[in-house]
Amino acid sequence: MHRGKGMKFVGDSRIPAERKPNIPKDYSEYPGRTEAFWPNFLLKEWLVGAVFLIGFLVATAAHPSPLEQQADPTNASYIPLPDWYFLFLYQFLKYQYAGGDFIVLGAIVMPGLAFGALLLAPFLDRGPERRPTRRPIATGLMLLGVIATFWLTYESVSHVDYEQRSEQYGVKEEGEGPDINTDHPGYAVYEANCLSCHGDTLQGQGSNPSLLKTEKSVEEIKHIAKNGIGNMPSGVFNGSEEELQKLAEFIHSAATGGGKGGEKGSGGEGEGGSDSGSGH
Amino acid sequence: MSKKQVSRRQFLNYTLTGVGGFMAAGMLAPMVRFAIDPVLKPSASGEMHPVVEVSKITNTPQRFEWEVKQQDAWYESMVQKSAWVYVDKNDEIVALSPICTHLGCVVDWSSNEQYPDQFYCPCHGGRYTKDGVNVPGTPPTAPLPIYEHKVEEDMLYLGRAHDRGGGV
Amino acid sequence: MLQKIYDWVDERMDITPLWRDIADHEVPEHVNPAHHFSAFVYCFGGLTFFVTVIQVLSGMFLTMYYVPDIENAWKSVYYLQKEVAHGQIVRGMHHWGASLVIVMLFLHTLRVFFQGAYKKPRELNWVVGVLLFFVMLGLGFTGYLLPWDNKAYFATQVGLEIAAATPFIGDQIRTLLAGDPEIVGAQTLARFFAIHVFFLPAALFGLMAAHFIMIRKQGISGPL
Ligand code: HEM
Ligand code: FES
Repeated sequence: MHRGKGMKFVGDSRIPAERKPNIPKDYSEYPGRTEAFWPNFLLKEWLVGAVFLIGFLVATAAHPSPLEQQADPTNASYIPLPDWYFLFLYQFLKYQYAGGDFIVLGAIVMPGLAFGALLLAPFLDRGPERRPTRRPIATGLMLLGVIATFWLTYESVSHVDYEQRSEQYGVKEEGEGPDINTDHPGYAVYEANCLSCHGDTLQGQGSNPSLLKTEKSVEEIKHIAKNGIGNMPSGVFNGSEEELQKLAEFIHSAATGGGKGGEKGSGGEGEGGSDSGSGH
Repeated sequence: MSKKQVSRRQFLNYTLTGVGGFMAAGMLAPMVRFAIDPVLKPSASGEMHPVVEVSKITNTPQRFEWEVKQQDAWYESMVQKSAWVYVDKNDEIVALSPICTHLGCVVDWSSNEQYPDQFYCPCHGGRYTKDGVNVPGTPPTAPLPIYEHKVEEDMLYLGRAHDRGGGV
Repeated sequence: MLQKIYDWVDERMDITPLWRDIADHEVPEHVNPAHHFSAFVYCFGGLTFFVTVIQVLSGMFLTMYYVPDIENAWKSVYYLQKEVAHGQIVRGMHHWGASLVIVMLFLHTLRVFFQGAYKKPRELNWVVGVLLFFVMLGLGFTGYLLPWDNKAYFATQVGLEIAAATPFIGDQIRTLLAGDPEIVGAQTLARFFAIHVFFLPAALFGLMAAHFIMIRKQGISGPL
């Protein structure tokens, strides 16, 4: 192509008038088995990408993204949990020397040092060696960081029952979720004595457990209602012995599945509440 | 570079475009369907609302108002509707929408002294005869829409207003 | 036809060199999984980009229904997921994509780190990369609040408390993020929305452009 004196342009622009043909370079002379990026390599990449995309779309269709109940700032019993990739930090702050009085250390100084080191890694690890085995300090620190992150993440979720959370905090659908028999004579007693803690459908809230899966017998339920258990104080129930009997029978029947439908005979629809929102 | 190589390259190019198109379509199809959903939603069936007792309807158009519950996706509200209602010569009830077909102002019956027997629109002087047909030479180009109606137990129920099309 | 359009534009804009810069280069053997399967680790950057494209597109479409307002945010999300055709998929793409992008970023970072690919002359690209990681985490944090459900609300409250632990200016940072010294509410949601859809994506695009320009300029690092 002509450069310098005598160069021709398109009109008064700075675009050279001479066209270069768009012929791809021939890479066969390069060392090793090189390949043209476009279209040879990209085609393979995109084939993999297409499979990846299909898998991803199937996964999204199979797993509805969770949506809990609308935010209620007054809900004092809610146990917060961040998205999984912040769990390691969340867990870290639970330790004595990282949280509480040492929060500055745990929330600012330590993560600051770790992420600062990550940001500046090329300036901390300046040697020419690239193989991980030839730069043991950098490799070791990174491995340590990764292992710590994994471990902290594991620690923070090992006690979390995600299924129970989604059951408890998820949106209750009409016709879905626990379908309790509100016509049962014990329901009114439940409403008056227990509903404020165990929820309007026995689903529990916060640290107050759901009663839907209790395996306790009628006698045991009567005992607990009067005398409490664990964090539940005694004397919650105040009413007649007859009411107590109805209450215990109601809870027992709801827990053993007898509460569903009931005399209303509306069965069929409620497919259980464990899965908030699939099938829509 | 031999001829054969170019055609192989061309083939790869086509395949690449195809795979790229497939990926773009796979990604965009659900999103586009999502975005155009309002266009494809079946329009809400015309529910009928009680408006006025039949005995109150006269030969002169009167304006009656009623409220309907409007469900706007996640937002629920009450909106006011109104209609000009009268009984025509054949004893049929006629309920006209008061929304001018020109630019949407609200028309009034006999509010212009010069045209006592017509609907008059104050915005640009649009006029309609009593049956709701626009008067030629005035801005509106279509008649006033007519409400679906039914009478049940001496009550007039109105549904959706339908464009009549045509016009003069 | 296409060739004619191309020539027409090329005559006026001289796009062939641009095209060559973007598409016409060789892929060395050591990064090509067709030759060495272990080279799939080089795909993580590209997959990160792919998921990022999905995020941007699905996010754009979600804002057609979503409203950043504490009265309506949750309702609009519920509506778009349950009532709008394919709403579950579009929201799902954005929701699960947000996790996937972090996974891919993590793997990409580890690949670059353990290969020592950040060494001279690629130091700056590493720094840009870590900044990209921070921006992505920021997008994750701000996006988590938007559906305005309990999980969102209480997690954000915790996050803001952590931000408030910064010495000296902690309270200011918290107020800046939340829009109010005490309340996590209407202003917080509006701010998080603005940060999530305008500020951080703008930073993301700028950084990604820098990242890609540097990669093209320097080429991929050689075999170990
Ligand atoms: C939105 C986020 C990011 C995108 C889309 C992205 C994309 C890419 C792509 C496509 C490559 C080409 C090689 C490959 O695929 O492995 C690359 C290379 C590179 N990336 Fe990233 N990246 C991102 C974030 C990061 C992060 C978080 C880091 C580091 C902390 C990083 C550091 C690098 C470096 C140093 C290179 C050059 C490596 C070499 O030449 O071998 N990038 N990036
Ligand atoms: S709007 Fe009625 S005449 Fe123009």
